[in-house]
Amino acid sequence: MPQRGAEKPAAGVFFDTDFSTIDSVLAVGLLYGLQGKNDCRVAIVTVSRPNLAVVGFADAVERFYREPAGNFAQVPPVGMITTGSAGETPPAFVEPFRKKKPDGALVYRNQVRSVIDTGDPNTLIRNYLEAQYDGNAIFVLSGPATNLAAALTFPGLKEMIAAKVERLVIAGGAFPSGAPEAHIGADIPAARRVFAEWPTPIVASGYEIGAGLDFPGASIDKEFSAVPDNPVADAYRAWRTMPYDAPSWAMAASLYAVRPNEGYFKLSGPGTIHVHDDRRTSFTASDQGRHQYLVNLPEQKDRILQAYVELASAKPVPRQRFRPVDAAGKPAIPGKQ
Amino acid sequence: MMTPEAPAIITGNVLPRRTILRGLGAAIGLPFLDAMSPVMAAAAGQQKAPVRMAFFYVPNGIIMDAWNPAYEGKLAELPRALKALDPYKQDMLQIGNLTHNTGRALLDGAGDHGRCCGSYLTGVQVKKSLVEIRSSVSFDQIVAAEIGKQTRFPSLELGMDDARQAGDCDSGYSCAYTNNLAWRSETQPLPPTLDPRALFERMLGTGRPMTAEQRARQSMDRRSVLDFVAEGTHRLEAGLGPSDRRKLDEYLSSIREVERQLERSEKENTQIDPRMDKPYGVPADFAEHFKLMSTMIGIAFQADLTRVVTFLVTREGSLRPYRELGIADGHHPLTHHRNQPELMEKVRKINEYHVQQFAGFVEKMKSTKEGGGSLLDNCMIVYGAGMSDGNAHLHEDLPTVLLGRGGNAFKTGRRILARRETPMCNLFLTMMDRMGVHMDRFGDSTGRLQGLDLG
Repeated sequence: MPQRGAEKPAAGVFFDTDFSTIDSVLAVGLLYGLQGKNDCRVAIVTVSRPNLAVVGFADAVERFYREPAGNFAQVPPVGMITTGSAGETPPAFVEPFRKKKPDGALVYRNQVRSVIDTGDPNTLIRNYLEAQYDGNAIFVLSGPATNLAAALTFPGLKEMIAAKVERLVIAGGAFPSGAPEAHIGADIPAARRVFAEWPTPIVASGYEIGAGLDFPGASIDKEFSAVPDNPVADAYRAWRTMPYDAPSWAMAASLYAVRPNEGYFKLSGPGTIHVHDDRRTSFTASDQGRHQYLVNLPEQKDRILQAYVELASAKPVPRQRFRPVDAAGKPAIPGKQ
Repeated sequence: MMTPEAPAIITGNVLPRRTILRGLGAAIGLPFLDAMSPVMAAAAGQQKAPVRMAFFYVPNGIIMDAWNPAYEGKLAELPRALKALDPYKQDMLQIGNLTHNTGRALLDGAGDHGRCCGSYLTGVQVKKSLVEIRSSVSFDQIVAAEIGKQTRFPSLELGMDDARQAGDCDSGYSCAYTNNLAWRSETQPLPPTLDPRALFERMLGTGRPMTAEQRARQSMDRRSVLDFVAEGTHRLEAGLGPSDRRKLDEYLSSIREVERQLERSEKENTQIDPRMDKPYGVPADFAEHFKLMSTMIGIAFQADLTRVVTFLVTREGSLRPYRELGIADGHHPLTHHRNQPELMEKVRKINEYHVQQFAGFVEKMKSTKEGGGSLLDNCMIVYGAGMSDGNAHLHEDLPTVLLGRGGNAFKTGRRILARRETPMCNLFLTMMDRMGVHMDRFGDSTGRLQGLDLG
């Protein structure tokens, strides 16, 4: 776990999602919980469908975690693709903006009025990757691979990803084989491109992983009370009639991405993941393969759910400042490569 | 004394654009006159003046609540810092959300002031060093290299503050980064001319140094540079129509006015503020200095001496107090206001004051006739800063206004919001297009800036 004064700061996390499941929202909370423990630094959130209501809510969540933390920088815009289908807007992303304080003032403000208030995903990924040390960035994908596939064709970005990114964790597919899966099926050509061309190791967290780890909905009212108004909890309450438990595809991928060595999951051997026309995935083992997939460990289930709740419900705290030191232990700024 | 280069003017003949009035130590280019266009084209108002561009850079960020209007589209009431530009808002684009990612720390730690000025026109993150200077060719110099042969000077670099090219000006960043905007190569900045007299002689001199005797005679006589080209001027005037004569008279008057200002400044300059690091001859009064330098930009554009100008109004980290506004604190320390209202108000006043000086220049450009419109119509004058919030050192939503229509190409009078994080270099690519220089990418550009054009 990186410590103050270490050679590198905690890894920067790039989270790309379509927010088609409530656990994508919980995953943002979980990543900020991990940031609070200095296990990672949330770099940016990018959204893979052109839905301003969804992005507006994601932006409000970003502000919830970043603004009170007093980080000495503006909150980065949420990235949003501008092509494709907007899809449905779940009430869970609209309802929280109606919530009022006792004095009648709105609790959350939607500051995304138009596409202008969002960022181009490629530009954002490039700009925020430039601020990461080599091999010190992690990507988490929970949704169609559209944005990440586009990043691979953006001038200079594939090379930058190769240099800066340690791993990509994809919540998608079913392993070692299984039924068609929605994230893969949402953009098959993009999924194929990412699995074929992404220049770092890829770990897939298949459908079976999140489906076997339901987030305990009862924790929302019990554990998310560190602050009076939490947009993650409010969205969860508005997603479906409470109480309910939610599969945790994005959360599992995020937890593994940041804590790969905690033994939460078993990891397959190396191989290659193939994407088929019928939205299925398959895995071919090979020593040269750069792909692996997660396997659920039943004995870890309680520990994982405990981590989910503890991290996703954590109160926003300021990101720890990174102060690099040289070999003599004195403050230093490492030169760029 | 007088060596006329101007040809005899015969009605109906075209006066060469490069006509120069020459005299002792003087070589005065001419403004764009109707007589320089074929008669039929001039009558039809079709003469095409060249497009010029200039950058006015102010340091230490802006108090953004005094800069950004709360609306998009047609410019209505301007915020406080921009109020002085209200008479020219129909000629203005207020552009929001442009970002210089290369101004940010990325992996280089403190030094936002050094970085943001070094990256402003180069679009690269400069190397953090005091000795191993490395930036990139700035986009103004790419344009100057491409079109600069058409004018006497490929570009002019002006400043008002600090000429140091070495030393630590910000957390390990060389003064070469804070004190220059234009870069000819990765390692060679083009230091700005600070002394208005030196600029005047460079622009209107022969390019050959005067002998001590010639300089003494010119000085003792206290004669205007115009006196030395009087004969050529009269001969030229005789062949011009009334409109051109008026244009020429206004132009020469503006040169004379600069001379008077210079003389006045030099006379009053015996008591320069000792805390200011300025060469002798530079006016101690900020407004006076600004007016002199900017008037000469106008003359340079009018006479097509150059089409590319950068003006580093004051440098990043400037400690200049503004006693003329009742502000004794240094500019840079004030911008670290920690959101204290009293300090923020002082910065707002400085922001306003800078724009007021700039508005005087815009007024002159607007009132100078060229072709069928104004000199401003054929220019792209960017006024801006390399930081938005100087307190937090932010490099997004950079304060940017563009005055002029770029040769009647831009639909002005609007506030345009780019998408957040849009690279500033996208604006530069668009400006390059207008200057006739076409590149696919510059710096960290991701494309052209959309929405500026008339079409």
